[in-house]
Amino acid sequence: MTSVQQRTSILVVDDETSLRQALRGSLAASGFAVEEARTGEEAVEFAREHSFDLVLLDINMRGISGVEACRRIRGFAPQTGIVMVTVRDSEDDKVRALEAGADDYITKPFLLRELVARLRAVLRRTHSDNGASGSILRAGNLELDVERHILRREGQEIHLSPKEFELLAFLMKNRDVPLTHIKLLRAIWGAEYGNELEYLRSYIRMLRKKIENDPAKPDYILTEPWVGYRFHNPSDPDSPKPQSDESG
Amino acid sequence: MLFSCSKRQTSFGEFVNAVQIPNARLRKLFRCGARIVTGWVVLSVLAFISYRLHFSVAAVASVFLVAVMIESLSGDFSASAAVSLIAFAYLDYFFTDPKLSFVVADPSDFLDLIAFLLAALVITRLVSRLRLQERAAQVERRRTERLFRLAQELLTLEPKTAIDSTCLEPFCRVFEMRAVSLFDQETSELHSAGESHASLGDRTRDAYLTQKDSDDHLTRVSTRCLRIAGKTQGAIGFEDLDECNLMAGPLAAIAATVLERTQAFRSASQAVATAQSEAYRSAILDALAHEFKTPLATILAAAGGLQEAGPLKPAQMEMTETVETEAAHLGQLTSRLLRMARLDRDEVRPQMEWIDIVSLAEQVVERYSKLRTGRGISLLKGCRSAETIIDPELVRLAISQLLDNACKYSDLGSTVTVTIDDQDDVIAIRVSNTGSSISLVERHRVFDRYYRGTEARNLASGSGLGLYVARKIALAHGGRLELEDPTAADGTTFRLIIPVSKSEAHHYDLSTAAN
Repeated sequence: MTSVQQRTSILVVDDETSLRQALRGSLAASGFAVEEARTGEEAVEFAREHSFDLVLLDINMRGISGVEACRRIRGFAPQTGIVMVTVRDSEDDKVRALEAGADDYITKPFLLRELVARLRAVLRRTHSDNGASGSILRAGNLELDVERHILRREGQEIHLSPKEFELLAFLMKNRDVPLTHIKLLRAIWGAEYGNELEYLRSYIRMLRKKIENDPAKPDYILTEPWVGYRFHNPSDPDSPKPQSDESG
Repeated sequence: MLFSCSKRQTSFGEFVNAVQIPNARLRKLFRCGARIVTGWVVLSVLAFISYRLHFSVAAVASVFLVAVMIESLSGDFSASAAVSLIAFAYLDYFFTDPKLSFVVADPSDFLDLIAFLLAALVITRLVSRLRLQERAAQVERRRTERLFRLAQELLTLEPKTAIDSTCLEPFCRVFEMRAVSLFDQETSELHSAGESHASLGDRTRDAYLTQKDSDDHLTRVSTRCLRIAGKTQGAIGFEDLDECNLMAGPLAAIAATVLERTQAFRSASQAVATAQSEAYRSAILDALAHEFKTPLATILAAAGGLQEAGPLKPAQMEMTETVETEAAHLGQLTSRLLRMARLDRDEVRPQMEWIDIVSLAEQVVERYSKLRTGRGISLLKGCRSAETIIDPELVRLAISQLLDNACKYSDLGSTVTVTIDDQDDVIAIRVSNTGSSISLVERHRVFDRYYRGTEARNLASGSGLGLYVARKIALAHGGRLELEDPTAADGTTFRLIIPVSKSEAHHYDLSTAAN
């Protein structure tokens, strides 16, 4: 049990024994202290008894779903990082998982290094409270002064409209976090918004034109298909890269 | 041949029925003769009695008139007229002076005789005509009743995918026929009920082949072609049908509706069966792709774990990397298959985004060139950029699909050419290969779901969903996917057309205004 205290503890929840075992071995080799749970119920019980740094939760399980387990764990463990394991075509599940309090998700099948990068990013955020509390946010060649409402790109000041500024600041504060359309709309435009995807798309497009080298191949504001957007810092070696594209 | 089917069941009829007579006209003559003989016998008896009782001419004339009237009730005018003439002769011979001679001495007797003859002829004419009309009405009613009964019986039958004997038996039973045959052109099957003595089946099929209706009175076989919506869809043959010239037509019309109903039911059930098997196929694809994901995730996790657990020798490291790369590739393939199955089954819901479609196509081509396809891929840009509102994932998938297709059906070492052009308000992405062209017959089928070229089935792997889904994606963007007309050179060109939205400023203004 001594190693559990020193190393990052993670609870792997999956009803597939072989995947659970492979993850246990590999994550242990990557420096995590791994515990396993076979069902959502078991996971909730386990997480209540021990406090884990991270929970890796399969979204499709027998018994209570991963989303429900996530909601329950989030209820009593606000500091635990929760990463959901999803499949490609269940975008609605992803949105539900994020709304239920998941910090991130990863799509099956995934490379181990992608998973580890994501887990570490989530851990960093949950432990440092986003690491973005200062008044100046930096990412790549961007520098955003929150208090003075100034954006600089390679030292050059770039003009942003107030809404564009708010949106970029929100994205940068939540870097590496997948943000759903609804969450973005409500955060920037207000609680009564939620379906006005057109606004969001137009603003994201304008922002990309202003901050990206190639707006068609964005480095900062990445699209999470059917879910929302995620701010990525290309010059941060710890920032997980987007999962390899599967359609090509 | 017995004419048991006769409907004229008079006492003579019964007598005549007992005698076998082959021809209808002879039968009629015989029946007429029998009536005349009977009339003659009755008149002779009456004349004998009246003669012995010394009745006056007027009294005998009345008695004879009654007899002639009764005779005319049979409805046979010629027999009644003959009997009237016999009565006239008897009156003249036995009852006018001088008796036992045809000479008439008294002019008033002569007048009586003429009056009798006229009255007898007029009355028999009127009565027999009435009688005939009544009989015709009866026959007509009976015919209608039978047709109605037949239609009713056929309507109560459960709809079937094929004509069978239960559809034909009512014809035989209701119309007391020996046999009925029906030829269904759609299935090329011959169906029969009853037992034919005159190879009815073959003659029915012949009737369809020659497209001719016929009535053979000698073997009592009638055939009619069955027409549905102006097209001959089969033929029906009747053996031993009474009044075939009158009845065959209406019966054929009823048979045509039965055939039409059966054909409609058949095509409806086939459509249901096809839809079911397609849904099944889609579900299997989906399940397969899903089932693959967890084992693949396990392999990837284990391979990654091996590298982490290290230290590995360079050769071991290389091997685990190969396992990882190939499993990841397999993962991409299953994801794509799953995506296709989903797009195939459900409505496409594009997640629109403003994007430069030219650089998107460029990225796809660039990535595709890195795959070891064994073909060169060249990109010709007719414009530098074209911004529009599309679902980048879906359009990427559609272009990949076209590239995939072009590579699959071209020779190793050849070049696949992608051209992008900005044409007024659309972007046209053309993907051409060389070395394989699509036959005329197959051209209109390439976009069919699960259709695979006849050659392709042996040569290239694939699910048969690619072009179908690519077209679905094009349509969901208000565009289209076309196969270009073949040019002189060998090869195939697919053209993906995506409309360019001109309202970008409009969108932005709207959202700015809403703040």
